[in-house]
Amino acid sequence: MKQEARSKEQEKVMVFNLPSSFLNLPSRALLTLLLLTTLSYALTQDLDREVFNISRQLRCPVCVAESVADSGAEVSVEMRNIVQAQLEEGKSEAEILAYFQARYGDWILLEPPKRGFHLLVWILPLAAGLIGLVVLGFLFKRWTRASRQPIEVDDADLRRVREALEQSR
Amino acid sequence: MTRVLSVVAVVAALVGLFLFGLLRGSPDRDISSNMLGKVVPSFELPLYERYQTSYGPSFNLADFDGQPRVVNFWASWCGPCYEEAPELEATYRAYQDDVLFIGVQTQDKGKLAEGRDFINQFDLTFPNVIDDNSAVSIDYGVFGVPETFFIHADGTLAYKHVGPVSTEVLETQIKALLQ
Repeated sequence: MKQEARSKEQEKVMVFNLPSSFLNLPSRALLTLLLLTTLSYALTQDLDREVFNISRQLRCPVCVAESVADSGAEVSVEMRNIVQAQLEEGKSEAEILAYFQARYGDWILLEPPKRGFHLLVWILPLAAGLIGLVVLGFLFKRWTRASRQPIEVDDADLRRVREALEQSR
Repeated sequence: MTRVLSVVAVVAALVGLFLFGLLRGSPDRDISSNMLGKVVPSFELPLYERYQTSYGPSFNLADFDGQPRVVNFWASWCGPCYEEAPELEATYRAYQDDVLFIGVQTQDKGKLAEGRDFINQFDLTFPNVIDDNSAVSIDYGVFGVPETFFIHADGTLAYKHVGPVSTEVLETQIKALLQ
C-alpha cells in the first residue's frame, strides 16, 4: 500500500517537475530566448494593429479614395513608417492624427471631424432622412384617408358593372 | 401643368449642378496649404554630386534662415515637372542673388540615375536634393508633384503652387517675397 503511494508520488514528480537537465545554462538561455521572441512577436502584432488602425483613418495623398493603410504608394508606405515611429515614441492616436492634420488639413482624415462646416456631412443625411419620413407619413395619411371615402356610383353604372360580372362568369 | 413644371425644375437643377461640376476647373489647383503663414519645417538632405562642391554633401535649409526661399518638389517620372524645369532654371538665374531655390526630388525612391538625367537635361544650377523616402514631402504636406513653396525670409510659408509653375507665377510670388 505504502509502495503504491510512493510510486504515485514519484509519478507526480515525473509529470510536474522538470528534469534537472532542463535547468542547465543552454536550456535556460533557450527558454529565455523563446519567451522573448514570443513577447516581441506579440508586441509587434499589437503595434502593427495600431499602425493599421491609425493608417486606415488617413487618406492617401496621391491616390483616389484610398486609405494610407490600403495604399501601396511610396508616400503611404512612408506615412505608415511615421505612424509606427510616433507610436514607438509613445504618442497617442490623437497626437499622430493631429501631426498629419497640421500638414494636410482636415482633408487627410477619411472621416470628417464632427465640428464646424464638416458637421453638415453628419447632420444633412439625418435631416434628409427625417424629412423623408415626415413626407412619407403625410402621403400615407392622405392615401389612407382617400381610400376610406365611399365611392359615389349611380345606379346605371352599378347595373352595368353587375351585368359585366354576370357575363364574365 | 404644375407637375410638369416641377419635373422641369428638378431636371434643370440637376443639369445645372452637372455643368457646374464640369466647368469649375480642376479642383487640384485650389488645394491650399495648411501651413500658410506658419514656419515651414527645416530639413537636411543629401545633394546630387554636381552641387556638392558649393554646398557640401548635404543641404541644410536652416543654414539659409533669413533668406527668401523657393522649394520645388519634383520627380523624374512626372511629366509636368519637365514642363516647368526650364522656367524654374531661367527664373533662378534672374533672381539668384536675392532668393534661394531648392529642388527636392521626392516620391521617386531609388531613381538616382533618372534624377541625375533630369537635372542634366535642363542644366539645373540651383541645388537639388534627394528625399528618397518622401519624408520631407510629407512634412510639407505635399499631395503630388510638382508643388512649389514660396517661403518668406522669416521661414513662414507665403504661398504654395500646385502643378507646373510658370515664369509669371514665379516672378509674381518672388516679387511679393522681396517686398
